[in-house]
Amino acid sequence: MIRLFFVAALSSIALWGLAALSALPLSQWASPFANPATLLPEQIFFAFGLMPRAGIALLIGGLLGLSGALMQAVLRNPLADPTTLGVASGAQLALVGATLLWPEALALGRGPVALFGGAVTAGLVMALGARRGFAPVTVTICGMLVGMLASAISTALTLGQGHYLLSLVIWNGGALSQDSWHGVFRLMATLVLGGVAAALLARPLVVLSLGGATAKALGAQVGLTRFAALSLAVILSGMVSAEVGLVGFVGLAAPALVRRLGARSVTQVLLWSPLAGALLLSVSDSALMALAALGGPEMPTGALTGLIGGPVLIALLPKLRNIVPPETERSDLIAPRATHPWKRVAAIVCVTLILTALSLLGGRGPDGWGIISGDIAATFLPLRATAILAAASAGALLALSGAVLQRLTANPMAAPEVLGVTGGAALGYAATLFLFSVPSPFTLAFGSSTGAAVTLIILSAYAMRSDMAPARLLLAGLAVGAFASALLAAVMASGDPRAWSLLGWLAGSASRASVSGALALSVMAVVGLGASLLVSRWFDILPLGAGVARGVGLPLGRVRLGLVLGAGLATGAASVLVGPVSFIGLMAPHIARSLGLVRPASFLAASWCLGVLLMTVAAFGARTASYPYDLPLGLFATLIGAPWLFVALLGRRHS
Amino acid sequence: MTLFTLENICFDVPGRRLIDGLSLSVGTGITALVGRNGSAKSTLLKMLAAQTHPSVGTIQYAGKNLQDWKARDFARDLAFLPQVTPPTEGLLLRELIALGRYPWRGALGRLGPEDHRLIDAAIAQCGLEDKRDQLVDTLSGGERQRGWIAMMLAQGARTLLLDEPISALDVAHQVEVLGLLRDTVRRRGISAVVVLHDVNMAVRFCDHVIALDTGRVTLQGEVRELLDPAALLRIYGVPMQVIDAEPTPVVHPL
Repeated sequence: MIRLFFVAALSSIALWGLAALSALPLSQWASPFANPATLLPEQIFFAFGLMPRAGIALLIGGLLGLSGALMQAVLRNPLADPTTLGVASGAQLALVGATLLWPEALALGRGPVALFGGAVTAGLVMALGARRGFAPVTVTICGMLVGMLASAISTALTLGQGHYLLSLVIWNGGALSQDSWHGVFRLMATLVLGGVAAALLARPLVVLSLGGATAKALGAQVGLTRFAALSLAVILSGMVSAEVGLVGFVGLAAPALVRRLGARSVTQVLLWSPLAGALLLSVSDSALMALAALGGPEMPTGALTGLIGGPVLIALLPKLRNIVPPETERSDLIAPRATHPWKRVAAIVCVTLILTALSLLGGRGPDGWGIISGDIAATFLPLRATAILAAASAGALLALSGAVLQRLTANPMAAPEVLGVTGGAALGYAATLFLFSVPSPFTLAFGSSTGAAVTLIILSAYAMRSDMAPARLLLAGLAVGAFASALLAAVMASGDPRAWSLLGWLAGSASRASVSGALALSVMAVVGLGASLLVSRWFDILPLGAGVARGVGLPLGRVRLGLVLGAGLATGAASVLVGPVSFIGLMAPHIARSLGLVRPASFLAASWCLGVLLMTVAAFGARTASYPYDLPLGLFATLIGAPWLFVALLGRRHS
Repeated sequence: MTLFTLENICFDVPGRRLIDGLSLSVGTGITALVGRNGSAKSTLLKMLAAQTHPSVGTIQYAGKNLQDWKARDFARDLAFLPQVTPPTEGLLLRELIALGRYPWRGALGRLGPEDHRLIDAAIAQCGLEDKRDQLVDTLSGGERQRGWIAMMLAQGARTLLLDEPISALDVAHQVEVLGLLRDTVRRRGISAVVVLHDVNMAVRFCDHVIALDTGRVTLQGEVRELLDPAALLRIYGVPMQVIDAEPTPVVHPL
């Protein structure tokens, strides 16, 4: 291990030297202690830009490595890290929100604001995780969902202000550029204090690694240790977020790396992870600098770590089986079951029809609230009907995909967003924007569908290869999503004007829908419902697992492939309209389940219908809330859905 | 009569060869598959059920290579119960058992009177008439296991494969489940292969035995052949004694 670290350190120094030499010949290299007044501008850049940057890369890598190692030790979850637990996104949201809405708060410095955001999301994820016994996969999925929610709100805030906040966007991408040594000193103090605190916590954490019950039997303060270690981890990663923004997955990769290299005990992992993280980030950053020096593109470092992190996450998945006791991922509550499911479905259909009619005819006009009539009706009703039809169909498609995926994976946290399909769709959309000078709506739709399909093919290949432990498919999807958002962050940070159009699409809007587009979506939604109802017996068998499904002669590989592809296409088509995140696909099936609709046919039909209902309401809200301006549809759906979802998840499980 | 013929089977897991060149034939009746932990008995059973496939070699079932069987035809002929039965969220017992008709009706076909007769017969045979409208997840361990066996019976298969069907049950339920299995197999004239840990249960309820040790057959024959201290030492690696008792002698580690 030491030899490898030595090689990494040497290559990092060499790459940094290459970048530094191309900026300034060796004979002119200046000391950071020199008086700036006597230096040339290039020398100032060297002494107060390049040199602290090398230091900050090491420190941030070390802090993230330590933070990740702490989280993994406390949660006994090899997938925990500030990114996967949503802490980084929470800090980002707090900073974006403070910058836009309450700049005075930043007078205290970015640290406290970032810490507040990180602590709130960490608290939320832990509260969700506690309901499910901190089962690793479930906690990770919760964390990533919370993170997505925070990112969606950040995007919406940026968009809503109407300015293209370049600094904010660059910060989001995790750029390590420095203009003084202050950041280095702040982070060095944090790392030293954090290291001391982690050393004090090491022994309790070793005891805790045997599991909560055993640790308690050994007389350890389980709750206190967990709280202290998690707080420390959140503080460390919050300080990093405040200083440089989102640098993803270093906290995940560093402990994984040292474990792979032979660190076994908790103490060893805690000791070596900061070093591994420091070297990992230092090498990445130096490589980027050298690349830029040789004429390559400027990329934020956070984008690069995201590119590394996605594959690392996927590579870790096969190892998970040995670490996770199988029972912990199961739900522990006996689901309610309605005696007359179809009566309830009929009730949902009635409510949906009434609300759709109301939202079509009612609304807010120049004269305030009222029913649309007369000339205005003749002009606007067809437009409004198109928008509602498109939104409703998109909602139905997302809800149906969610329902199908939840049955397929037997995991109530499965959702189209989690599959990474929407991330792939966003990448396809971005690629189309950049490949065609004036892309038509059809080209854009085709581009995003292609992106979604490619993601799906990658996922299916993974699914076919490893007998698809369903939880792992979800995590592979999350990794693909993380990969996609890292690339998108890099695109945004490039400052290209086309990024603006991308940002707009990410928020989603129903009013863009054309008549033919809306009709195509609705045909897809109806066909999808019909097809899934026809094979509803599959959805009885699939949750029982691979053994039973094969045992009764279900051609498992083909069924899974077909369902994953179908769900992905539906998601891709819907996300052209509503943007990549909406949570409808997670929420609608959840509501259906909580209404006691557990049999596949009624469950699918009710989910579909609830998707229509939720999206219609969201579209109505997006249209009227700040009349005459349309708010982003996907954002509105998220804002309606996410809080409800968290309340439902928090309240539902009592173990 | 021969059910399964295995020729020169190898099974690889990453880094090692679990089964190396196993040749074997399995006959009708109830066959117990015994052996130490890690002796590859579960792997062997899963290969017989076509749940996993051997890395090298071929397996024949009823004179036809496993690869040549169509999935649903195979499921009509052979039913498999995994070691850990999955949670069945929201399913009633009769709905679970009705899933056993999937190989015959597929995703679209409606269940006819014949299907319902077979489902009812399976429920009756397993003594679950009064539980048919209960949620499977609320049943006791023994009832749940009988429910899964009823699903296998509704499948109408000629061969049942069960992976440690009694490992999570107390001794009363062990006797109940294995007794049910033996009576059913006898009455319907079908066959079963059961992975078992308990030699005494194997001796009491099975006809034949196959003992495995690290992927090799150490004993194959009538189940009575297990009642031999030398054979038991070879299979389990610990000295055991055979004590005369009724209805069958029992074995006990020394």
